[in-house]
Amino acid sequence: MHSRRDFIKKAGIGAALAAAGGFPYESFAGERLRKLTILHTNDVHSRLEAFPDDGGKLAGLGGVAARASLIKKIRSEEEHVLLLDAGDMWQGTPYFNLYKGEPETKAMSAMGYDACTMGNHDFDAGIEGFARQGVHRDFSVVISNYDFNDTPLEGKTHRYKIVKKGGLRIGIFGLGVELDGLVSEIAYGNTKYLDPLPVARDISERLKKKENCDLVICLSHLGYDYTTNKVSDKIIAKETEYVDLIIGGHTHTFLDRPEVVANKKGEKIIINQVGWGGVKLGRIDFEFSHKKSSKFFNAQSVIAAKQTIG
Amino acid sequence: MKLRLTYILLLLLCSLSACHRGYYMQKQSSNIYAIDKAVNADSSMADMITPYKQNMQQAMEQVIGTNDTMLTKGQPESSLGNFLADAQLDAAKKADAGVIASVANYGGIRLPYITAGPITIGKMYELMPFDNTIVILDVPGNVMLEFCNHIANLGGWPVSGIRFAIKDKQAIDIEIGNAPLDTGKTYKIAVNDYMAGGGDKCSFLKTLKPKPVNVFVRDALIAYVRQQQTLRASLAKRIYYAQ
Repeated sequence: MHSRRDFIKKAGIGAALAAAGGFPYESFAGERLRKLTILHTNDVHSRLEAFPDDGGKLAGLGGVAARASLIKKIRSEEEHVLLLDAGDMWQGTPYFNLYKGEPETKAMSAMGYDACTMGNHDFDAGIEGFARQGVHRDFSVVISNYDFNDTPLEGKTHRYKIVKKGGLRIGIFGLGVELDGLVSEIAYGNTKYLDPLPVARDISERLKKKENCDLVICLSHLGYDYTTNKVSDKIIAKETEYVDLIIGGHTHTFLDRPEVVANKKGEKIIINQVGWGGVKLGRIDFEFSHKKSSKFFNAQSVIAAKQTIG
Repeated sequence: MKLRLTYILLLLLCSLSACHRGYYMQKQSSNIYAIDKAVNADSSMADMITPYKQNMQQAMEQVIGTNDTMLTKGQPESSLGNFLADAQLDAAKKADAGVIASVANYGGIRLPYITAGPITIGKMYELMPFDNTIVILDVPGNVMLEFCNHIANLGGWPVSGIRFAIKDKQAIDIEIGNAPLDTGKTYKIAVNDYMAGGGDKCSFLKTLKPKPVNVFVRDALIAYVRQQQTLRASLAKRIYYAQ
């Protein structure tokens, strides 16, 4: 899908002037809506197959074959789809122990994931192990608060990523959990963990103001909320000004619907997380236009269209 | 018409300078889909997974050692529990030779028994399906006493390098590494990360800083079976009821 801007760039000024007569008026009137559909997973934990039918709570749920077909169906219905994962793609089934992330990575590439961030378990094959699967990875690894200098991942991840879809500029950055005490030093090696909050403030402001992003998404593996003051998605939401959406993970939280919270400016932003094991797929649709809206939506417009298992 | 020309000029300017005219969010909605059996499987994805699945099944059938008699799960002490605690201690000692004992939570044993005969990798996955890792804790003597009392209160857990009697749901005659418990000393103890995080009501361990050992409990079991080749069930009065 080429945007009009791309078209004009390619066609040159003369062609643009000739085509100008045919421009639909509403594209300038600021009323035509542009829709973006965001699909997301987190903490899939190498669940390539559905959970076994053992009478357990998650029996029969999940699996990449079913997820792939649901995503295909949504792509056939929506023009602009962004598919994201908030980390801990790996570890949890013998598939990971045997193949060290290869089938998981291939499956995500086949489903057309745009980006992921890194969870603590994505270090379970060591940094080198994560880097090694790069040959199968057709999506970006976005992680802003791990410094991978002097590691096998140096230069192979993005501090942030700007995706252009349907004329929209979407900024994506990623936050990872503190590794010390959670991941063995042998596994994370020279990785330096940076305090997520200042990183989130800095990058989100840059994406919104300097990079002119229409939407700023934080892929987070910090965890939804804690009883202590440990940094979480709730804290990132409350203490930043330019994040619009947090796709979370790590705490395996099954939210019934996305959580709407006030940011530092008192504006409402969204946090969502879909449990673990790939048993659910989250979806958030945004509609944009050029019309300025002081507040982009209100809490009442957040609809969980289909309530499913908790 | 004049307005329209202004727009076109603006657009041209934009396209030349690659500037971006901002969009503002107007509407938002959401949906959380359950990925259940109502969703048909995508056949090309299923085909991609099949060879991995077949190889995995073969790997699970791989024999790593044998078991001379049946190992069973039980309290206050059990042969299956001893195997687990011994394997955990062995793996922790390889990371830190100063580790003196190990403790596993009783609920973490996920099989009631392992029959005599060949032991497969798949059997170790059944015994320990969780991806818990081994961690080392520096446990002060007074916390060690609390730990032993906790184990006694719950009827006995798998231990290695620890011995005590249970009397009135309390631990007595405690020995750590063949010496009586000294509450003034600090002991290096191997546990799983679940317990270190306060799991199975081990909240007293939460304040201790865990030193991660980059080994799953399951992998420690597999390594231990490979190393021993033949497992022999043993009961050694590690935890027993005082007469």
